[in-house]
Amino acid sequence: MTLLYLGLLSALICLLGAILYTDTKHFLISTTALRLRAQAKPVIERWFATGPGLPAPLAPPSPPSPGLPPAPPSESRQPSSGPVEQLTEDTAVSLSQALTSRDTTALVIDNQGHILATGRRLPEEPPAAPPDPQRINRALAGENEITYIDIANGQRTLVVLIPLRRTPTDPRILGVVQLNTPLATIDQILWRQRLLIGAGIIVAVLLGALGGLWITGSALAPLKRMIATCKRIAAGDLSQRVNLPRHYDEVGQLAAAFDDMVAHLEKAFAAQRRFVAAAAHELRTPLTAIKGSLEVLLRGSLDDKAAATKLIQGMYREVTRLNRLAEQLLSLTRLDTPVLIHKEKVNLAQFLNTVVQEAKLMAQERVITLNPGYPIVLEADPDSLKQVFYNLIDNAIRHTREGGKIEIGWGKKHASVEIWVADDGEGIPPTDLPHIFEPFYRGDRSRSRRRGGAGLGLSLAKGIVEAHGGTISVESSLGKGTCFRIRLPISDPERG
Amino acid sequence: MRLEHSQSSSKIGARILIIEDESTIAELLRTGLTYEGFRVSVVSGGEEGLECADKEDFDLVILDLMLPDIDGFEICRRLRLRGNDIPIIMLTARREIPDRIKGLNMGADDYVTKPFSFEELVARIRAVLRRRGSAAEPTQLSAADITLDLEAHEAYKGGKPLELTPTEFALLELFLRHPRRVFTRETLLNRIWGLDYEGDRNVVDVHISNLRRKLGDRERRLIRTIYGIGYSFRPD
Repeated sequence: MTLLYLGLLSALICLLGAILYTDTKHFLISTTALRLRAQAKPVIERWFATGPGLPAPLAPPSPPSPGLPPAPPSESRQPSSGPVEQLTEDTAVSLSQALTSRDTTALVIDNQGHILATGRRLPEEPPAAPPDPQRINRALAGENEITYIDIANGQRTLVVLIPLRRTPTDPRILGVVQLNTPLATIDQILWRQRLLIGAGIIVAVLLGALGGLWITGSALAPLKRMIATCKRIAAGDLSQRVNLPRHYDEVGQLAAAFDDMVAHLEKAFAAQRRFVAAAAHELRTPLTAIKGSLEVLLRGSLDDKAAATKLIQGMYREVTRLNRLAEQLLSLTRLDTPVLIHKEKVNLAQFLNTVVQEAKLMAQERVITLNPGYPIVLEADPDSLKQVFYNLIDNAIRHTREGGKIEIGWGKKHASVEIWVADDGEGIPPTDLPHIFEPFYRGDRSRSRRRGGAGLGLSLAKGIVEAHGGTISVESSLGKGTCFRIRLPISDPERG
Repeated sequence: MRLEHSQSSSKIGARILIIEDESTIAELLRTGLTYEGFRVSVVSGGEEGLECADKEDFDLVILDLMLPDIDGFEICRRLRLRGNDIPIIMLTARREIPDRIKGLNMGADDYVTKPFSFEELVARIRAVLRRRGSAAEPTQLSAADITLDLEAHEAYKGGKPLELTPTEFALLELFLRHPRRVFTRETLLNRIWGLDYEGDRNVVDVHISNLRRKLGDRERRLIRTIYGIGYSFRPD
């Protein structure tokens, strides 16, 4: 990933450098060519207009050379000559000399392609490249803008060809002026440019690599932390968290969401573990009693019929308890599968009447009354709903004295029905109240198992009510009684 | 809750107070320990238990930790605080090491976790009583001219040492602990050979016969055969 990014970066920088370099090169060469043309133009025009007698204004006058007097014959011969009509050797010499300077040498070539004159007189003036006949012909044919690079005396030289016309629109071309200027300075500039761009590329790529590593590193660090955390969690430690400082970027949000998820999982697992531990504990007590009783019987008590009967009765009670516990555990796990709730229309008055009639059979000297409200039809699973009320009534029976009163009634509240099961028993201490729906929870007062029940009845009731989309709540005052309230949605309010 | 005393056939049986609220477990302890020759009282609450332990003279307390009113650790602490150093065996479903340590630090003599083996519980009761030098748990058993040294695991008849196998020694110990009681073959098998013994049931007869030979009991007067039922030890 990082390498790909680096490769892309360096390719881009190289491309940019190359564009910059070629552009500079073109710019430098074309400006030079342009300057040569611009400088040559007035000289040529003046030469046509006034003849070759005038001193060359092009360059600062060359220092007079002792060996060679500056264009002595032509200048002296034609001091007042008129406009040049013909290209002769003499006129050509004066033109070429006028165009030649310290950095430029001019050749004058006639319309046959022969060199008529070369302006180079001093050794420091640059050498001229040999004319290229093809390009000369093109220039003679009227092409104005021929510029190329050639080698003159081993030096790279810029060559500019200018066709000689008396006026710019004159179709007759007398000859061609070839201007030569060495590229040494430009090449030097370009070489330095290359050096600079090269060094720049290396520095930029290095910096880019370092910066890229730093950026990707700091961007990937939280992900690496998450990977490490994931591995530790997979190894079984759910207390691990990524714990990134809350950033507002996506990775920070992901880490926070991840931590939340693991926290939920940890809670769920802990609850599961507590549930299993509590269930195991509930199983262990009756199993201990049964195992111990069997041992005592086999070690000789079986011979004493009265003692043996007592022990066997105890074992029967414990097996009944185990059986009930198994049923309730099964019901609790079934609640996680909503398919097993088969809803049908339930006439509440009829339903509760049946429940109360059956509950009276196990009432053990408690007075159970039904306080009917408006007729209401519910969508519910009657079997599991029956379990809810049996559990609540059973709970009420266990926590009231003999002769205690248990009342069941209902009332309509908006789009739901509220059914209550109230008793005048001992009540639930406020410290236990928030926990009574937790599986296997037993308050101090009901811890003794002689009161029966494993502590699953109420959590089962809660589970069933919630599977019906309802809620269950409890209020209680110590010594006065307890009231459970169940709220269930009414399927068809018009019939309610 | 009224105290229920169960007098065993033995005159010297140790008096044990059981504080346990699980009725089935309380019942099996009462029946089983009574059968073993202890004199057993059962209460189901911590307050009652403290009261009983203070008022009456018990040799040992078996204490359940999960009680409806006071928890077992607290009972143990209060008993020790009052200077009562009666031997205590804690009985609980809490099997974690810290709970055991806490129990022993509170002054308990031993700690048995549920589910427990009844045989082990009896052995631990006897061990605690012996360790505490209780008169109710002798280190020697004697009847007729037979003496068993339980600590040295040696048997004497008329002062002369007897060469007994461990099984024969266990049989003789059982007989001496419960003189006159009639044991069926099944009971003897279960107690001496273990509840999971599945071998030949005639081993009982073979070992009884060997024991009689070593005791010089040719007339079968010491170990009597009760026809159709089993055996009984009659030292008189």
